[in-house]
Amino acid sequence: MEIACRTENDTTIVKITGRMDAITAPSFEKALNERIAEGETQFVMEMSGLEYISSAGLRGILATAKALKGKGGWIRFAAVGGAVKEVFDISGFGSIFRMYDSVSGALAEPA
Amino acid sequence: MLADRSIAFKLIFVITLSGTLIFAAVLGYNYYRSRLMLQQELENNARNLALASVYRVDTVLTSVAKVTEGVARSLESGGYTHRQLLSLLRATVRDNREIYGCCAAFEPLTPHARPYGPYFYKQGKTLVYDPEDTFQYLRQDWYQISRELGMAEWTEPYYGDNGANILMATCSVPFYETTNGTRRLKGVVASDVSLEWLTELVASIKVLKTGYAFLLSRNGTIVTHPAKDMIMNETIFSLAEARNDPGLRALGRKMIRGGTDFIPYTDITGRACWLYYAPIPSVGWTLAVVFPEAELLAQVKRLSLTGAAMGMAGILLLTVAVVFIARSITTPLYGLAQATASIAGGDFEVDLPPVRSRDEVGALTTAFQVMKGSLKEYIARLTETTAAKERIESELNIAHDIQMGLLPKNFPPFPERREFDLYALMAPAREVGGDFYDFFLVDDTHLCFVIADVSGKGVPAALFMAMSMTLIKATARQGIAPDEILCRVNGELARDNDSCMFVTTFCGLLDTETGELVYANGGHNPPLHMKRSGGISWLPTSGGVVVGAMEGITYRRERLLLEPDDSLFLYTDGVTEAMDLRDQAFSEERLERTLALLCGSGIRETVTGVMAEVGRFAEGAPQSDDITMMMVLYRG
Repeated sequence: MEIACRTENDTTIVKITGRMDAITAPSFEKALNERIAEGETQFVMEMSGLEYISSAGLRGILATAKALKGKGGWIRFAAVGGAVKEVFDISGFGSIFRMYDSVSGALAEPA
Repeated sequence: MLADRSIAFKLIFVITLSGTLIFAAVLGYNYYRSRLMLQQELENNARNLALASVYRVDTVLTSVAKVTEGVARSLESGGYTHRQLLSLLRATVRDNREIYGCCAAFEPLTPHARPYGPYFYKQGKTLVYDPEDTFQYLRQDWYQISRELGMAEWTEPYYGDNGANILMATCSVPFYETTNGTRRLKGVVASDVSLEWLTELVASIKVLKTGYAFLLSRNGTIVTHPAKDMIMNETIFSLAEARNDPGLRALGRKMIRGGTDFIPYTDITGRACWLYYAPIPSVGWTLAVVFPEAELLAQVKRLSLTGAAMGMAGILLLTVAVVFIARSITTPLYGLAQATASIAGGDFEVDLPPVRSRDEVGALTTAFQVMKGSLKEYIARLTETTAAKERIESELNIAHDIQMGLLPKNFPPFPERREFDLYALMAPAREVGGDFYDFFLVDDTHLCFVIADVSGKGVPAALFMAMSMTLIKATARQGIAPDEILCRVNGELARDNDSCMFVTTFCGLLDTETGELVYANGGHNPPLHMKRSGGISWLPTSGGVVVGAMEGITYRRERLLLEPDDSLFLYTDGVTEAMDLRDQAFSEERLERTLALLCGSGIRETVTGVMAEVGRFAEGAPQSDDITMMMVLYRG
């Protein structure tokens, strides 16, 4: 799994590629926790490159989301597709998080 | 050859061998040079000695010849009376120590004239007069040779017949008178010389221990020689004849021809010698000096032997030193090797050889000591770690048993109930897992069943699983609908859920009389509805959120009417996400295909059949996630 971050309009866009499972999820959590510790509170996850997500990956997302909620921030998901979309649908993550077709769509939405 | 030997042996062998070779080379060269130098020096000495002797002999003989010449010239010049002649001869013998006797032999004027040859000679201290008037001197060599050659001449040595039997030689000089321009031989003056002094002189020449000199006459006759019986009896040619030695004959010829040389020579006893020879010019004799080679080289040999002895002692000392050094290296090494063997055998208490030096061996021993300590410490730590690991493993095994004990495992679970049946199976990827299933009768006609999958794996998942399972069971027993159950359990789990763990849960409640199934799905994989007719369909995804993720979630209550002999296949993602060696997932499609093939089998056979298919698919790839399946059959 690879994580690439860029900032646009005070929002951090995190591009995730590869597989997010029990082995890689902790590094995702760590990377985002560092960002949060630096004061960033608005995140858009660009998920088009993510091939697979396991329950450990979902747990990592959930932990990050909870940490952000405590700081008054938010996390949005853009371009979730394929197997990942299926997992989001089954697990109900698609209904508890805000999902967008594209990064620009996610950025356009007011907080 | 050396590879199998010990270091000590190699050191000793190589150093001693090299030392010996070097020493032998030095000694050999030294011997060769010494021998050459000694030979050179001996040649010089021999030449000097021989020349000095030659000079002495020549001086004596020349003076004798001069005196004789003088007498002859006197007799040529004046008319000597008989008396005057006797007086001259007497004075000549008396005044010249070397002259034994002197004779003036006159040529007879007529063939019948009486010979006249007055002769004086020494006998002890007195002079004896011999008129020699009867003596047939005219036929003597000394007379004839001188007379014929017309010049001073020395005879070959001979034994005097005057009773003394002494070795003598005679120098004869002719004298003439000139009348009317005609030169006529008047006579021959002859001086006899005793060669005793010459014999003594030559005998006194000593070279080394047994070296000697000898004198050859003009004919090669041996005049003086340490072997007395050879004197006058042998010539160098007769010796060559006797020994059948052409080389000696050639040498003899060179010698009597008046040559000078320093050559190797084998003497009469067969010893290897060196020979120096030089002529005595006045008489044409040859003086030869013989050096036995063995004696010549004795000194060099002695020197070399002493050198060799010292060298041997040196090499012995060297060997002892090498042995000592080698021992000082190999003894601790041997000790180390033995100690290492003991350490390898697990004995860390073994004593290493003491460090006696600060050299490489000492450094090695010190390093070994450090290594031993580290190893000991490491092994101790390893033992501790292993024990801890074993304890954890044993605890995990117990945890596994406890977890398995939580899951109902008696199948069929309700043998007395004809209207439904149920079969389930759980295979954790590790000792303990996060999957679980459960089922129980809420009342006589309602069967509650649950399948769930906790996020993550291992001990944390197992703990969360136990908690979730207990909560669900406790909540479900209150006789409430599945959506309500999940809602309450979610509330309980989400509260203070710092670990952010959650559990996907499918909870169903089957009315065993009507076949009506009420269910709620909390983020779990949708089960498959297997109809009696053979059709298989997925239950629709309702979008229910995983249980425990966050508070305040509500779940949808959904319904499905099961026909008699319809069944429901529930599973966790460990089935569909089981990987083969090429990282391909088992997939929902394959699960559906497998179930289609198993259609018509019993529920136990179906579940174990799917499990077997998953195992075949994985091809031995390690199981990465817990696998759980449950099948509920409604008979009606």
